[in-house]
Amino acid sequence: MLRIFLQRCLSAIPVLFLVVLFTFILIRLAPGGPFDDERAVPPQVLENLNKRYHLDDPIHVQFFDYVKHLLQGDFGPSFKYPSRTVTEVIYAGIPVTLELSLYAFLVALVFGITSGVIASLKPNTLQDYVPMSAAMIGLCLPSFVLGPLLILVFGIQLDWLPVSGWGVTPGDKILPSITLGAGYAAYLARLSRGGMLETLSQDYIRTARAKGLSGWRVVFHHALRGALAPVVSFAGPAVAGLLSGSFVVETIYQIPGLGRFYLQAAFNRDYTMILGMTILFAFLIIICNLLADLLLLWLNPKLRGRK
Amino acid sequence: MSTEAVDFDLNRLEKGRSLWQDAFSRLKKNTLAMGGLVFLLLLIVLAVLTPWIAPYSYEEQNLMLGATPPSAEHWFGTDIFGRDQLTRILYGSRISLMVGFIATAVALCIGVTWGTIAGYIGGRVDALMMRFVDILYALPFTIFIILLTVVFGRSMLLLFLAIGAVEWLTMARIVRGQVMAIKHQEFIEAAVAMGMSRPRIMFKHVAPNVLGPIIIYTTLTIPSVILLESFLSFLGLGIQAPQSSWGSLISYGVETMEEYPWLLIFPALTLSMTLFALNFLGDGLRDALDPRVSKD
Repeated sequence: MLRIFLQRCLSAIPVLFLVVLFTFILIRLAPGGPFDDERAVPPQVLENLNKRYHLDDPIHVQFFDYVKHLLQGDFGPSFKYPSRTVTEVIYAGIPVTLELSLYAFLVALVFGITSGVIASLKPNTLQDYVPMSAAMIGLCLPSFVLGPLLILVFGIQLDWLPVSGWGVTPGDKILPSITLGAGYAAYLARLSRGGMLETLSQDYIRTARAKGLSGWRVVFHHALRGALAPVVSFAGPAVAGLLSGSFVVETIYQIPGLGRFYLQAAFNRDYTMILGMTILFAFLIIICNLLADLLLLWLNPKLRGRK
Repeated sequence: MSTEAVDFDLNRLEKGRSLWQDAFSRLKKNTLAMGGLVFLLLLIVLAVLTPWIAPYSYEEQNLMLGATPPSAEHWFGTDIFGRDQLTRILYGSRISLMVGFIATAVALCIGVTWGTIAGYIGGRVDALMMRFVDILYALPFTIFIILLTVVFGRSMLLLFLAIGAVEWLTMARIVRGQVMAIKHQEFIEAAVAMGMSRPRIMFKHVAPNVLGPIIIYTTLTIPSVILLESFLSFLGLGIQAPQSSWGSLISYGVETMEEYPWLLIFPALTLSMTLFALNFLGDGLRDALDPRVSKD
């Protein structure tokens, strides 16, 4: 068991290395240097800038320098704003984005699994159709449609909740979390309904019922555990989706998180900022996938035999 | 007497239905899926005919008119430049649907080829190829697409390729599973015995037999591609002005939604209804083509 855990963890390292290499090369391929401006820069100044940022070193030297600094948690300077480093921006944005993603994930888990389980208990009745129709609507309303609609209804028409900022006015975290989580709630509802239906038809459930256990005990103690495997394996990719979904939500609700900074960097063509943040996102997502993988192994011992 | 009996039997035999006829009759009974199909066909026809049937020209501005709510002349209202919203949505449909279909086709080609080869050859090659898919699965692709648009500039071709390159992974997994399941069947052995080459067997005999799952998953890939394109265009990283897709129309609509809500509502409604239609059709096809698999 421990060996498999370590093996999986070690296999993430080359992937991370390749991500850094690929992103680094891609950024260097970008047309135009980082100091290209509308105004022409005098050659002497350009040379000094290149020297200061070690851009005149051979590319492999630059790459290994970059990796060395990365390992020390240093993402280097921002090319557009010399006054701040990429690391500072990342540290400012990361708690906000992680908090937003966490709340959205909780929204998805609570609403998704509850409605999926409720629907699966009486398939093809009203109790199934109502939550599943809601889930279908959730799937087809992307966050950039749902967000503005929620703002229009709850922020402007009813004036119940604040529609911008994060942690500034009370309740301003509610709408962004729902906007980001709704689609995943819908997906989880469908997954957990499917998982439950399959599990409920298994022999061991019939045995549990035959033993005279109460309906709720069968559902919670026996069926749910088996039914949640697809939910767990979805959790890894879901975190990736939540992080990139935060781009839209942070833009709509003007939240100072990583997603918004990333987009700003993209529009400003701030290459070092983009490089650092891409690597950070990749790192977060790979780690989450790894955790989901390990959780799945722990939940389902049958998988441990493979490979 | 005996000939009659034979005739009778032959008549009964002729009424046997193929898998596809059977599936289609099941699909026809599914009102939601058929509704989705009709909606999509209508939308495609409208999008193709847009240059001829659009009530106004795409770029024609009428600054005197400005933004007006829906009326008899402008069914979906006009934007702040007095441009007809219906016309703009119709032109947007051309872009969104085109991205949807072409990028899905790219994903389909890569995914089916990859999955067929991995599933059919098996062993080490399979393990290596699928490990590659696993690794790609773990990467933040939306972020890479944004990175690509920053590095290479925004272009339609990049959008097709980048989205297609993201969406093929699941297709490859599904096809591989199906190929593994059928590669030991007798008709494949017969083809091997007849001395057919491996690529020919793979693409002539194996691939067509996994058509069902491929069709189902393709129908479900199109909406996620359309969604991804709209997502990028909403962020200002996809389709560039003066062209517009549903995503960029929605993003204009959001800017002015307090004063002119119709500029948000109509493009949002068009996008959501298309996604509904495609998802219903995909679900319906899944039920029709593979009755064993229950809806999840």
